Amino acid sequence: MEIIIYGVINSVTLALMALGFTLVYGVSRLPNFAHGAFYVLAGYICWMLLNRLGLPYFLAGLIGLAVVGGVGAAMYHFILERIRGMAISEIIASYAIGLAILEGLRWGGLKGGTFILQPFVEGSVDILGVSVDYQRILVVVLGAALVGLLWLFVNQTKLGLALKGMAQDERAAMTLGIDSDKMAVVAMALGSVFAGVAALILLPMGSIVVEAGYHVLIMAVAVCIVGGLGSWTGAVLAAFVIGFAQILTVAYIGAHWQVVVALVAIIITLILRPSGIFGKQKELEERV
Amino acid sequence: MFEAVGLMVFYENMLALNNVSLVCGQNQIIGVFGANSAGKSTLMYTLSGIMDDIAKKERMAGGERITIRGELAYLGRNIMGDKPSVRAKAGIILCPERRRIFPESTVLENLRIASYLANKKQAEETLDYVFELFPPLTKITGRLGGFLSGGEQQMLAIGRALMAQPKLLLLDEPLLGLSPAIQYWLAKAIKEIAEQRGASIIVAEQYARPIMPIIDYGYILENGSAVIEGGRQELMDNPDVKSAYFGA
Repeated sequence: MEIIIYGVINSVTLALMALGFTLVYGVSRLPNFAHGAFYVLAGYICWMLLNRLGLPYFLAGLIGLAVVGGVGAAMYHFILERIRGMAISEIIASYAIGLAILEGLRWGGLKGGTFILQPFVEGSVDILGVSVDYQRILVVVLGAALVGLLWLFVNQTKLGLALKGMAQDERAAMTLGIDSDKMAVVAMALGSVFAGVAALILLPMGSIVVEAGYHVLIMAVAVCIVGGLGSWTGAVLAAFVIGFAQILTVAYIGAHWQVVVALVAIIITLILRPSGIFGKQKELEERV
Repeated sequence: MFEAVGLMVFYENMLALNNVSLVCGQNQIIGVFGANSAGKSTLMYTLSGIMDDIAKKERMAGGERITIRGELAYLGRNIMGDKPSVRAKAGIILCPERRRIFPESTVLENLRIASYLANKKQAEETLDYVFELFPPLTKITGRLGGFLSGGEQQMLAIGRALMAQPKLLLLDEPLLGLSPAIQYWLAKAIKEIAEQRGASIIVAEQYARPIMPIIDYGYILENGSAVIEGGRQELMDNPDVKSAYFGA
């Protein structure tokens, strides 16, 4: 029972970490290696506003998200737009920016222990004999809500549909009046905000540390590769596969093998099914 | 309504379009005929602005150097150098070669994505029109774009272009890979679009036979140059055109 409950929680956590990454990749084929940095940055800004300026939690979080979204959009517009289409350059540039943000924060005094966001609600509850704190339940609820919102946005709004078109065929989308650069900025901003949302929901379960940035990036990449790069359904599914695999590993093998699971999942996926669980159409291209 | 003057496109030093000029009047159907690699798609991409985008991407990636020269006047405005999305907003909609249907979206979703430029009322009205024009689409609204037959894809591609509210519709090889019966049926539909939607249409095609009867004026492209031009009857009577396109 414990395995199921904590498996679900862990899976939703992973899905939250990966959603922004897969969104950006899906729309503009851009691997955003600054994803983890945005995650930490959002938490850090929120903490600063909360503790230094004494703003209310809600407002601090909102400003944190806005800033991170802006940084993401600016990063795309001023830097990445110039190197679009060159995958290696995109990875190097975005990773460099991520490094600069993370190590800049470390230099600015961000270290473990002191930077702790309060959980939204304290306390815990027993579910079928397993003790779960409210924050973790909130993670699952908000995670599901977020996935639902994303689904609605992508399938029901003009902007979301345009993003979906862009993701499938950029040139065809352009002929229909969809501005590819504008859409890529929107996707980037949205992806960054998602990283921020994940941070605000997940960080209260631990403290804000620079290493979380690297951890989130690795997890996001793992989930996206296993799920099929750019596939949203695949990412959610892969989050559950890796999430449960991790919890099972913790329960039966040992906690320190947890991160290895994600990396092994990447390797197995790349050997058996390079396009990931949901890369059906892409699989065809690979064969041709 | 639309006029291109002296269009030149170079891929590195290779001349893809050589001094092509073309005029399309309000509500006219213009045909551009030519064999493979005559420059039809290059011309369509240049008119819709996609060529500028391709050139930009090549430049950024350090690939082929593509140069575009000439003038494009649309509704009394010079649109040379405008982004594809700006031209599309102004009403120039390209229905691209090989259709480029969104493969992972359903037929209906393809059309909904395409209504990006339309307001709600226009989108609803055009959707009804597309289903009326292409009844076979009504039966497959839920099917994924990637699983359509060639004819269905082409209907969807034209329908998709219509959703974007074109004033000038550019059709690049709409008959490619279709059976003769469907080719004639589609040519009829293209004529209906011009009449019922008040759109001007430029069709690039290598199968002249079905398209020739519906055009007002036509151009023959050869190796990037417009070698022959003339009205419908003039072209059909031209001995060179006859031998090359009608096998007579």
